[in-house]
Amino acid sequence: MQADPALLALQGVGHSFGGLSVLRSVTFDVPAGEIVGLIGPNGSGKTTLFNIVSGYIRPLVGNILYRGTPFGRETIQQRSHAGLVRTFQTPQVFEKMTVLENVMAGCCKLTRTSLLQDLFRTPTARGQLREIREQAEAACERFQLAGMRDVPAASLTAGQRRILEIARAVVGKPSLLLLDEPSSGLNGQEIENLREWIVRLNADDGMTVLLVSHDMGLMTVANMVHTLYFGEIIASGDMTAIQRHPKVREVYLGV
Amino acid sequence: MRSNLVWLTLGLIVWAALPFIVPRSTADLLVFTGIYAIAGLGIGLLLGQCGIVNLAQATFYGLGAYGSAYCTVTLGLPSAVGFVVGAVLSMVLAYVIGRPILRLTGYFLALGTLALSAIASALFFEWDWLTGGTLGIGGIPKLELFGFALDRPSRYYFFVWILAFGCMALARNLVDSRTGLMLRAMRDSSTAAASLSIDLQSLRTRIFVLCALFGSLAGSLFAHHASFVSVQSFTVDRSINFLLIPVVGGATSIPGVVAGALFVTFLPELLSKLGDFHQILFGLALVAVVVALPDGLMGAFSRLRGMIAARRSGNAG
Repeated sequence: MQADPALLALQGVGHSFGGLSVLRSVTFDVPAGEIVGLIGPNGSGKTTLFNIVSGYIRPLVGNILYRGTPFGRETIQQRSHAGLVRTFQTPQVFEKMTVLENVMAGCCKLTRTSLLQDLFRTPTARGQLREIREQAEAACERFQLAGMRDVPAASLTAGQRRILEIARAVVGKPSLLLLDEPSSGLNGQEIENLREWIVRLNADDGMTVLLVSHDMGLMTVANMVHTLYFGEIIASGDMTAIQRHPKVREVYLGV
Repeated sequence: MRSNLVWLTLGLIVWAALPFIVPRSTADLLVFTGIYAIAGLGIGLLLGQCGIVNLAQATFYGLGAYGSAYCTVTLGLPSAVGFVVGAVLSMVLAYVIGRPILRLTGYFLALGTLALSAIASALFFEWDWLTGGTLGIGGIPKLELFGFALDRPSRYYFFVWILAFGCMALARNLVDSRTGLMLRAMRDSSTAAASLSIDLQSLRTRIFVLCALFGSLAGSLFAHHASFVSVQSFTVDRSINFLLIPVVGGATSIPGVVAGALFVTFLPELLSKLGDFHQILFGLALVAVVVALPDGLMGAFSRLRGMIAARRSGNAG
């Protein structure tokens, strides 16, 4: 009997910019319900891989399967609609909008109104907007943003922006949450909160998480970690195994 | 809350009394203000909500005006047909042109729309069988509403301004809606908006089409007001004038288009009394507003209100 296909599967994915090869035959699975980590030093290709998975870059070679079906040609929007939502290494908040509006923008995709319905403020349009607002308010509570929900996002600190971005991503109820360096710019307490949220999103909300980071401490949250080095996976396993792996020690610690 | 209601009532009384107390020429300018507010509203939605500079509004304004002129004068059709023909032509053109050029962003998109305006203005001139060229089309009938002739500025004023307020209400609905959220998200970061499944291309195109519809409505209203249309009214200059409306009024503010429209209709008229260099003065006034009030007149107004409120509460405390 065959096992269920992984939620996300990368098969021999490779990419290069000009003559510079940044990813070489990367293959790994992200099984449903797991937290999978991806570590690697700067320039190892983590973000490129992320851009490929979320649709910002088309890979030159290799396949991406989502729920067992090829997913290489879909647009960013189609992927997001299918439940694959990402955050960015440099948080991309909507600066002139308030915190609450930012989160509300994250749940727009859960409803559908036409331009005409919105222009004439039909009962459907109003109902859907109310629904969006309620969900966004709940998300603000959950991520401790309620106190600042009416301030423009431009006035947030780097750490708050990152949390806002995560709140905005998860309010759309993704199946696969892609977090790009979520802990950078956060202080110790904020990293602790982040870790707890990742665990809870995974356990309570059933979200599968693909986490990219070079924060070894945060990475212990993952069940399975892959190490990317110059475009290749050099080691896979849980964090303890990774830390003991001779190649990883060589790359990170120079021993 | 109550003071808002008082202001609103006062505003309404002034608005209703205005065409009867001012001279006919001023009433005429007030009609133009209403027409320009409608055209500027479309530009304001694109600029303030989507961050798009549209320099082609004179094209859609022209299509509306020629649609009305040609249908009523040349074909002898009812004026409502002219409104519809102008609107449909404008929306179709906006869709067909918008779909490809709205892939561009920033200055490139602005230049694309400028090119559209330049080409359209040349075509209005060349296709004199349709537009009458420089001679234009004259004798466009005044509108009639349920047998009531809107033949004087004081009467047409109410018709135009009720439509303008209607359009502003629709725009307000749009800004407050789910679509409005998605537009502003896209304006602030198109990268992040895409990851939230917001379809940039289709959303931008729809607002561009809506803007064209407002432009065309304004053009038809203009044709029935002036009774005469010619190419001079639909040049690139006019497009720039329409862009000034939200820029001066405050791009994100809906009532701002009224302030902006008042500015572009009345100021040149007032300055022209000063002599030949009035265009330079208008230019200087414009630069002064843009430099001193980056959020436009409405932005400055709300800052002033904030300051007064802060001073009051300071005195009370």
